[in-house]
Amino acid sequence: MPSTSMSAPQDSRAEPKKQRRAMSDTWFSVLLILPAMIIIAFFALYPLFYAINVSFRLADLTHGGIQGFVGLENYRTVLFDKFFWQSVGTTLFFTVFAVAIEVILGIFVAFLINGATVAKGLIRSLLILPLATAPAVTGLFWRYLYDTQFGLYNYFLKLAGLPQPNWLGDIDVALWAVIIFDVWLWMPFVALIVLAGLQALPKEPFEAAELDGAPYFRVLRKLTFPMLKPVLFLVIVLRTIDALRLYDAVAVLTRGGPGSTTETMTYYLYRQGLVFFRMDYASTMALLFLYAVVVAALFALRPLLNMFSARAGAR
Amino acid sequence: MKRNFKLLVFILLLASMLLTSCAQPTQAPVEEPAAEEPAAATGECKDEDRVPIAWSTIEGFYTIAMTELVADFEATHCVKVQVVGIDNSQLYDKQVIEMVGKTGAYDVVNLETAEKAEFAENGFILPFDDYIKAHPEVDYADVAPILADMTTQYKGKIWGLPYYTYTAGYFGRCDLFEDPTEQAAFKEKYGYDLAIPTTWQQHRDISEFFTRKTGDMLKGEPLTKDFYGTGLQAGRFQEIQDELSAFLWSYGGDWLKDDGTVDVENITKALKWYIDLLPFAPPNALTVNYNGVMDSMQDGQIAQTVGFFLDQWPNAVNTEKTVPGAKMCNAEAPENKAYIGGFLMAVSAASKHPNEAMDFVAYISGKEAQSKFSLMGGTTTRMSILTDPEITSEANRTKTGHFATLVKVFESMKDTRSNLFYTPFGAKIYNTLGPTLQAAAAGEKTAEQAVLDLAVEVEKICDGPCPINK
Repeated sequence: MPSTSMSAPQDSRAEPKKQRRAMSDTWFSVLLILPAMIIIAFFALYPLFYAINVSFRLADLTHGGIQGFVGLENYRTVLFDKFFWQSVGTTLFFTVFAVAIEVILGIFVAFLINGATVAKGLIRSLLILPLATAPAVTGLFWRYLYDTQFGLYNYFLKLAGLPQPNWLGDIDVALWAVIIFDVWLWMPFVALIVLAGLQALPKEPFEAAELDGAPYFRVLRKLTFPMLKPVLFLVIVLRTIDALRLYDAVAVLTRGGPGSTTETMTYYLYRQGLVFFRMDYASTMALLFLYAVVVAALFALRPLLNMFSARAGAR
Repeated sequence: MKRNFKLLVFILLLASMLLTSCAQPTQAPVEEPAAEEPAAATGECKDEDRVPIAWSTIEGFYTIAMTELVADFEATHCVKVQVVGIDNSQLYDKQVIEMVGKTGAYDVVNLETAEKAEFAENGFILPFDDYIKAHPEVDYADVAPILADMTTQYKGKIWGLPYYTYTAGYFGRCDLFEDPTEQAAFKEKYGYDLAIPTTWQQHRDISEFFTRKTGDMLKGEPLTKDFYGTGLQAGRFQEIQDELSAFLWSYGGDWLKDDGTVDVENITKALKWYIDLLPFAPPNALTVNYNGVMDSMQDGQIAQTVGFFLDQWPNAVNTEKTVPGAKMCNAEAPENKAYIGGFLMAVSAASKHPNEAMDFVAYISGKEAQSKFSLMGGTTTRMSILTDPEITSEANRTKTGHFATLVKVFESMKDTRSNLFYTPFGAKIYNTLGPTLQAAAAGEKTAEQAVLDLAVEVEKICDGPCPINK
């Protein structure tokens, strides 16, 4: 007891000190995210603001470097550049067709695997193979497959008595050749995601439908696809964003040719920035591209986020 | 929390903007690094004392062949050379990035002829004049004069030394030209003797004559695959420009006129002629560069080339092994006009060891190393080696069988000085030419439209007529 009574005054003096030292929850959470914020600031925000800055300047690295402000001149130049718009058109064409084919084929393959009774694991492993290799490496391999004289595709087409296209040299075919390569590379990704979605679906609604004698396609339309919607939505958004950024397949397969028929926005941007060293145009294009992707992604993701929020609320 | 977060974001944005404005790189004139004491002779040299220098060069044969020569240099100099092999399509970009950043990552750089003026104008590389004066053993006068001028000189100064030339000429299947059946058929169709072409019309006739389908006869034998009259490098690479140069210069034109504008009339004419040759080339012509043409040649699919890099002779002559009965020959390109070019070795202005780097350049481009290089299959720029009877003997035909032709090309081209190689915008124009010209070859645009687009692009690059500093 004496010791307690003796220590009491000390405690009462220490309490205010502790309160002064204690960190509020707010600042503690700021402290926790600070390292991540610093990294983001250094690797994402700094380059972003640097690019914004450069987009308002004259910046030809091999002739004078980064120079004075030119206002919106670079934006005007880019927006009136017919080759830029041509590359935008090529990118959109590629994205629409590549993603559509990947999703349709991916869903089809996922249903096939889901219904398979044997070797499911083996098929899943084989599907991962294209994803496990670098597109630059497989692209080189495909370049030889597409070759008009030495390529396997034309060899087999010739054996079958079919016309042999100039896959990478014909202006009407080359972009489709890139799309086929992209489908080969990314369709398995779509299939695997959809397969995972299918396997995660609850069994009860399907059992009930079976008991009611619902036809297969009605089950698909009324149950399977509506329940798969979030997964499909996500995979479409991810593939679309990735397809819009297409660079490696073009660089390895066609270098943007023949002519400029496969020159996508990112490849054109690369040529402006790292071949012509016009960092002003390249930065401007990159910012316009970023803006378009962010806006598109926000619009695309909003229904998905709303869907998740609604589900969370319902629970 | 929300307010604090906003504050944090604001602070970060402010910091980023400040950092951005602080880090404006400007291109101040490059100062020549202070001269250093030369590295000690190798006898008294320990590994840790070796001066490190890095040489950025083209990945592949050019680099592999250099390994032995680099070892020879290291044996006599207290220097450690790192050879950085970079794919040809990336070499220019990587070098420019390092030069702009003044990183000193590469002490010695490898430049294409059209890139020299840009590097010199920007102060990326050091002049070589004083070194050449102080080292008579360099024997600059031995470098083929046309190459010395086009690949090393700009604004009255010498910017390095060439160690390799890819000057163009002509390759053909002489076994086809010497076949009596083919000779008779050709004479009957065209009214003159079948021989190595000396005019572009003859070249076109031969191209047309030898373009045949599977099952047709060639040298009295049925063909098992399609055969084509000529190989073309019409892919979306820079090589299409190299190939077109031969036609363009034959017409008396140039890529840039003396007033710095694009020679629309002559380029259109050359491009049309080139496009008319495409039906006589393999379909993959629209996707390949020189490697693809050599593959077609060695696979027995083409009869000849147009203006083609003579340094590829060791590959071309290999056709004699891969195609039974083939006999390869080389000659000057028709009309005696062909692309002239070479790799310039230059010392970076940001090099920490410029003296050692210059010693290295002088060694690699010197007579001793170049003689060895030639016997490995490299194509030298030195006249004394190109005309050396021992090196050019029949025994070395597969490596140096094109040297005599090269000497003739240099003589024929001695008065040609393309404006493209004397404008500081040469590299950018060179990089623009490939895609623009290829658009016409691929049929995306007409020749006229492609050349008009080219004129607009070049004017944009140079911000008006291009300055030319011969």
